[in-house]
This record gives sequence, C-alpha cells and structure tokens, in this order.
Amino acid sequence: MPTLGRRSGALSLAVALGALSAHAGTPARVDAQVPAQAPPALQAAATPPQQTSVPPLQAPIPPAGRLVAITNATVLTASHGTIERGTILIRDGRIAEVGTNVQVPAGAQVIDGTGKYVMPGIIDSHAHTGIEAVNEGSNSVTSEVRVEDVLRQDGGGIYRELAGGVTTIQVYHGSANTIGGQSSTLKLRYGLPVDSLYFQGAPLGLKFALGENVRQTNYQPQPGQPRRYPLTRMGVEEVLRDAFTRAQAYRREWQAYETARRAVRRGQPEPLPPRRDLQLDPLVEILEGRRLAHVHAYRAEEMLMMMGVARDFGFRVASFEHGLEGYKIGNELAAAGTGVSTFSDFWAYKLEAWDAIPQNAALMAERGVVVSINSDSDERSRRLYQEAAKTVHYGGASEEEALRMITLNPARQLGIEGRTGSIDVGKDADLAIFNGHPFAPGSRVEKTLIDGRVFFDRDRAPTLENLIEQMRRQQPRQGGRPVTSAGGAQ
Amino acid sequence: MKRSLRIAAAALVVALVPPAHLVAQQTVAQPAAAVAIRNATIVPVVGPRVTGGTIVLRNGLIEAVGANVTVPAGAQVIDGTGLFVYPGLIDSGTRLGLTEIGSVPGGEDTQELGDFNPHNDALSAVNPSSEIIPTVRVNGVTTAITSARGGVIAGQAALIDLMGWTPQEMGVLPRAGMVITFPRIRSGRRFGGEGGQQGAEAQAEEVNRQTRALRTYLTNAKAYAEIKARLAAGAPGTQEVSLPMEAMVPVMRGESPVIFEVETAEQIRGALAIADSFRLRIILRGARFGWQLADTLAARRIPVIVGPTVSSPDDRDPYDAIYAYPGVLARAGVKIAFQTDNASDSRNLAYNAALSTAYGLDPEEALRSVTINAAQIWGVADRYGSLEVGKVANVIVTTGDPLDARTQMRHIFIRGQAVPFTDRHDRLYQQFRARPRS
Repeated sequence: MPTLGRRSGALSLAVALGALSAHAGTPARVDAQVPAQAPPALQAAATPPQQTSVPPLQAPIPPAGRLVAITNATVLTASHGTIERGTILIRDGRIAEVGTNVQVPAGAQVIDGTGKYVMPGIIDSHAHTGIEAVNEGSNSVTSEVRVEDVLRQDGGGIYRELAGGVTTIQVYHGSANTIGGQSSTLKLRYGLPVDSLYFQGAPLGLKFALGENVRQTNYQPQPGQPRRYPLTRMGVEEVLRDAFTRAQAYRREWQAYETARRAVRRGQPEPLPPRRDLQLDPLVEILEGRRLAHVHAYRAEEMLMMMGVARDFGFRVASFEHGLEGYKIGNELAAAGTGVSTFSDFWAYKLEAWDAIPQNAALMAERGVVVSINSDSDERSRRLYQEAAKTVHYGGASEEEALRMITLNPARQLGIEGRTGSIDVGKDADLAIFNGHPFAPGSRVEKTLIDGRVFFDRDRAPTLENLIEQMRRQQPRQGGRPVTSAGGAQ
Repeated sequence: MKRSLRIAAAALVVALVPPAHLVAQQTVAQPAAAVAIRNATIVPVVGPRVTGGTIVLRNGLIEAVGANVTVPAGAQVIDGTGLFVYPGLIDSGTRLGLTEIGSVPGGEDTQELGDFNPHNDALSAVNPSSEIIPTVRVNGVTTAITSARGGVIAGQAALIDLMGWTPQEMGVLPRAGMVITFPRIRSGRRFGGEGGQQGAEAQAEEVNRQTRALRTYLTNAKAYAEIKARLAAGAPGTQEVSLPMEAMVPVMRGESPVIFEVETAEQIRGALAIADSFRLRIILRGARFGWQLADTLAARRIPVIVGPTVSSPDDRDPYDAIYAYPGVLARAGVKIAFQTDNASDSRNLAYNAALSTAYGLDPEEALRSVTINAAQIWGVADRYGSLEVGKVANVIVTTGDPLDARTQMRHIFIRGQAVPFTDRHDRLYQQFRARPRS
C-alpha cells in the first residue's frame, strides 16, 4: 500500500486537530491556517507515493498568486457575461482587476490566455473525495461525526478533480442514516498538508438523508443482524422531529444556564453548566442559523416533509442534495429559498430515481430555484463542465445559466458566494483555463488556479502521451512488451 | 396509502405491460410515402460532407443522398436549412432492454448464474417496451449491441435497432458475438472500502482456475465442433446433443466473433493467446490498458470496443489515461468503436467519444467510431454506419455536432420511421412544466 505512510501522517494530524477542538468544547471547524512554510514532517508526509503518476507539486510551493496576470483570454465571468480578449490581474491570491483595459504591472507572472477560455473554478457541491470513511451508519443520528476528522490528501481523486477544473468541493458523509454528520468545504490545494484543504471561513454544514438509503431499502442485513430503525419514510420524519425536539430542550438547558450565570451575584457560586452533547451541538447550530442543513433527498414528498420539519423548528433547508424530483415542486422550493444540487441526467439506478428527468435542473431554474449540478463521485466530478452542458441540451438552459450551475449557484448554496464562484474583483482567484469553450466537445482543462496559485498545469502533468513517450525512450526496439506499473497484475 | 401503492407498483414495474397508447408512442406505423430532408448539411461519414444536400428515405432505406437529388413527388419534405444529417449512432456495448430499474431485481436480466452460458441469447430477453430505450434513441443512438455480462461465457450479444414491436423485430444480428470475460480479479471497492473480501492470493487462484476452465471449455467445444463436422461429412457414429456446445460451434468455426472483455495488458495477451490456440475471431471490449499493445493490435487487425470513458483511472496511471487511450489506439491504426457498458447511460455515447477528442482522438475518427467503424466491426457495414444509397435509413437530423452536448436532435429515423420524441422524461417534463406557478 504505497500511500500508507502519507495517509497515516495526514490522518494523525487530522485526528490531533479534531481532538483539540473537541476538548476545547468549540463546535467550530478546524480551520488551520495554511502555514507559509510547512513543518518538515508534514512536507515529507505530503510527498505523493513514488508509484503514482500524479505529480508532486513543484517544490518549493509558489507564493500564493502574489501578482499574476492571465492575458488576452475569453473570460466567462458567470456573473456579468463574457469578456472577449480580457485580462485578469491577480494580487495576493485575489482577483484585483478584470476587463479589457487592464494594465499588467512589471514583475507580474503572465499566463498567455490567447485562444483560451477562463471560467471560475468549478465548485462541486457534493463530493466524497479525500476521506477515509464515508458512513457512520450504525445509528440513525450521528451528527457528532465530522468529515474533517477523516480527511486525507488522497493519491489521485483530488488531483484528477483539479485536472477537471474543480477548485472547491463540499465533502459529505454518505446517506446511510438520517443525520449523517458534519460536512467540510474544501479547496483542492493538492500536495499541501491536509489541513490546508479547508476552505477557511466557509459556513458549517450538516448532512441529512431521506429515502431509500436511510431506510436501507437496497441493503441485505447479515444473518442475525437486526434491522435499524427507520424502515419507512414516516419513520425518517419521526427521527428528524425527535432529534430536533431533543436539540430544542438541550438549547433551553443552555439558555437557562446562561441566564442563571449572568444573574449570579458577586460572591455567590457559579451554576454548573449542562453536560455538553456533541450530537446535539450541531443541531442547535442549525436551529440558530449558524450551520447549514444539506439534505440528501430524491422524491418530492420527502422534500416537502423535510421543509415542513424545518418550518416547524424555525430553520431553512439550505439545499436538497440530488433532489431528482425537485421539478415537481419548484414552486415550494423557490418559496422556501431552498436550493437543489442535482445530477444532470443520472437515473433509473433505483426506484426513487425512476421519476428523475434530465430537464430537472433547467425546469427548477425556470421556477426560480438556485440549482447546481454535482458529481457525488470522483469520476463525474472531473467532467462537471460536460455535465453542465447537458442542461442546455435537455431543459434549454442558457449557456450562462448552465455555467452558473457549477460555479456561482453551488457557491450560493454553500454560502461562499462572497469568496468564489465568479470572476469578480475581490474574489479569490479560483480559476479554470480551458483550451476552448468548456462546453465544446474537444475542450480540456489546461490550468487550474486556486488563490492565484497554479495547482494543475497540463504542461507539467504526467499524461498518457508523456508516459508512452517515456516508455519508448527507455525501451527502444524491445519488441513491444513494455514494462510499466500501469496495467500490471490487477 | 399513496406510498404503499407506489411501492407495490414498483415491485411489479417490470411485469407491467405499458398501456397500449404508450406502445403506440414508441412504435409508429410505417409511412407509405418517402421522406425527403432538403437543404441540409449532410455528413455521410464516408466521403465528404455535402452542404445544401438532400436525402430521401423510402421503405426503410436511403433511396438517394447528395447535392443534386430531386425530391420525389408525394414525399414528406423536411426543411433541413441550418440542420445537419448524420447516420444514427451505434453503441457497441450496452444492457439495453435487459434492465430497467437497477435496484429492482425483477427487471434485471443482465447476469445468469454459473460461469458458462454460451447458449443464452440476449435478444430473447430484450424488452421492446423498456422505458429506457426511447430516452436513448432521442439522443441519436439508433442501434446498439446489448448483452448479459458476468461469469466467463455470458452468451450471445445481439445487435438491435432501438425500435420495434418485438425483440425479433428489433434484431439486426440476433447473434452478434459471444461475450467472454477474460478472468480477472474483481475488487469489491465501493464508498472507500478496502477492497473485496477475498485476499489477493485467493483471487489470483480464482483467476487461474477460471482461465484453466475457459481453456478446457474451449478444448471441449473444439472437439464437439470437429465431431459434428465429421458426422456431417458422413462418418459413422452419433453425438449427444449439448445445447451449450451447439452454441459454441459457430464460435469455434470462426463464424461468430468472440467479444473478449479485457482490461489489462496481461488479459489482452491472454485473450490473444487463446484466440491463437483456438483460431477464434476476437473483438476486444474495454481494454483500458490496450494502449500498451496498440501496435500489436493494429498489426493483428484486432478491433477494440473502447470505453466507457466516463470512468476513473487507477491512482498509479496518468490522470487522462481513460480519456486518451482511444486516441492512442486509433492513431496506431486500431479500428475502434465506443461503448457505454450501460443502459440508461447509453444516451451519453457521443459524449463519451467527445471526452476522448479533448485528449487526442481525431474528431472525425470519433464520429466514425460511433457509426461506420462499429458497423464494420459488427459486420453490417453493407447496411449500417453511413449515409449511402441502399443502406438502412437510420438517420439523425441535428442542430450541429452530435458530440457537442449543446446540440439538439430535431428528427430521428429508424428504418425510415420517424421516432417520436415523447419518452418518459418528456412526458414528466411536459406534465410538471404545466403546473401553475402559484
């Protein structure tokens, strides 16, 4: 297992940081600063295994896009149309200027964008990339578990997503149980220590799930293994209402404690605080609007159920994940201000995906729903630009709208639209540079920038062509039995 | 109440025969008159494209095509101004008609028990009323290979047109090729799990066992075919009829090709060795590491069904390996065609090819690999794969390049019949688009 050393290093760091935050009693995300100079041990741990074709970043890691200019490119801003022959000036990792009359200062690193298209870095609002474990499915409510505790710089998934123009992903737990755990918003700063992946300042999130997966419809229990409650969608609703009812009571305990503490007079003893409940803390944060609820759902009625629960407990569902029947209830979704992060055209793989239609995204957008296209898979994530193009094909979305479904709209659903998701002055310089229009069939990603820093560069990437060339050089005239790691005994 | 009804309906969903009006939507009557598409850009795939051209379809065939074609009297005329005409696309590997809803076992006819099922014919189980099929053909896929998978010999694949009242009517080639999966280690990896339950050693032993079993099976089949031939030539004696062995006879005679499912270079070498030992005609399918043997495959004229490209390489391989390998094969001179290895995803055939054009596959070759190359590989190029006089009128009329996801389909003809655009998705779309806004 070539990645073991690196993984265990990364894991222990995540565990250590996680433990730190849990002991300190703070529910806040572990948003460690990206160290200017990583400690030696971490640098070693971040070196990819030798047997991988995924490259290490060029050492030393370049400064965070201090002064970079992308010149003479077609700029798809996602917020204010297309700029032909535009220049983007990046200062200190942020977009400083964008337009046709931008002066490139002396000393800037210039990326010639002639013939290229620049779009905002793609945001995949539903991924399971870079985590050691996906589901804590033993109980129906596991809001205490956190994606950030199992993050790792994986051997390929993160890099391949970068190579598909993705700069930000929302990593969720799976959908095995009703309340799965706390999600993480990441920037794909490949090759840096694992804590550099955190998208600092991104809102907190919690993954919920409804439907077939939660009630273990397609799951055969082992002999002797008891079924887990719930087995029906009614049971799922009950689990949700029970959890939030407990969270309300817990919150009142803390409020009473705070009131009593404030009322303590000098010399009197402080009241004892209630016992901290790591499972209910994140639910309280949702009740108080300090954490976003992201809810895996397929069918229209279960989404209506969830919105009813949210209404009764006084919070808003930030997004339904997948929401394949969202087109049936566009009115209700738009009125609730709830976004939907869906597939472009994935369907028929289970019963609750039987009414899925590829016009879903465009039809919901017509009704005023904030719609994004997600991957739910390391594979689909790296071609989300093609997935977005399908919304033009099926539902007649405009190209501008389709572009927003993988940039600005997911940013809005995740509450990071002030930082990324469009090419606007002041935003992080998260950009994908294509050799053609991102929706055109022959287009591929040439460079991906995060905070103005080039994290993927096809010119330096080990491609299949490079590998073949290398093999030819190494083994001239050997009669066609090239030996490589690739394609060895599987 | 509503939910329990839905669940009950789901359990029965494949048993349900669609109401007559749905069948009628899927399969329309043969038009009596000719259809002429006029003033379109015609991309015949073989030969240069014709601007301002006309194509005439009659009696299920292409009657005329070119720049100077007269529209016959009484023909239904379609104005092709601004539109493009291509041959219908061919998906060289699907499970169409054999699966409906993946998680509902009642609808799954994709995998039989046991390792050796050469006498299973996919065509007999194809459901002409599958709700998936109309969603695929409205994206321009008019013809497909469909087959079961699994075991070592899964049975005969069928080449079908995606319209017809019965499986037999859909069939172009009822027996297009014998599907053999070259024995391989299967990882049970899912959701970040740690691989299958078996240890690597046990899996390797299982691969060896299956490989030996395959060679033994082919040896027996060869003997069976030889005995059969000698009896036919008048030799005295009898032969006990074996249905599996009977199914292998055309394969052993080289009349029916083998569709060898392979991934690695080792598996490809193994498949070539078996082909040599038993003088089999083989078509490789999958072959994601085929780029390592591109020159060998080209020299031996072994065609390769590539894809699906919507899949991830191993971590130790270049990030673009899956997208790029079809181009490597094609440039080496290997005849390639694309597959989706799927049913519901078969509509993305052209987009699979498009991903490869971004990584070195020539766009014209990409188009050929979903049309004429496929027809040649399956031995039906005299009837399919291009817009030429006398060929079957599987024709798509588009707003542009079918590999571009932004392109719309305007008209689709299968055997000269207009394909309705009313699939399951369109029905639901129209239904809910009409929902009042408040």
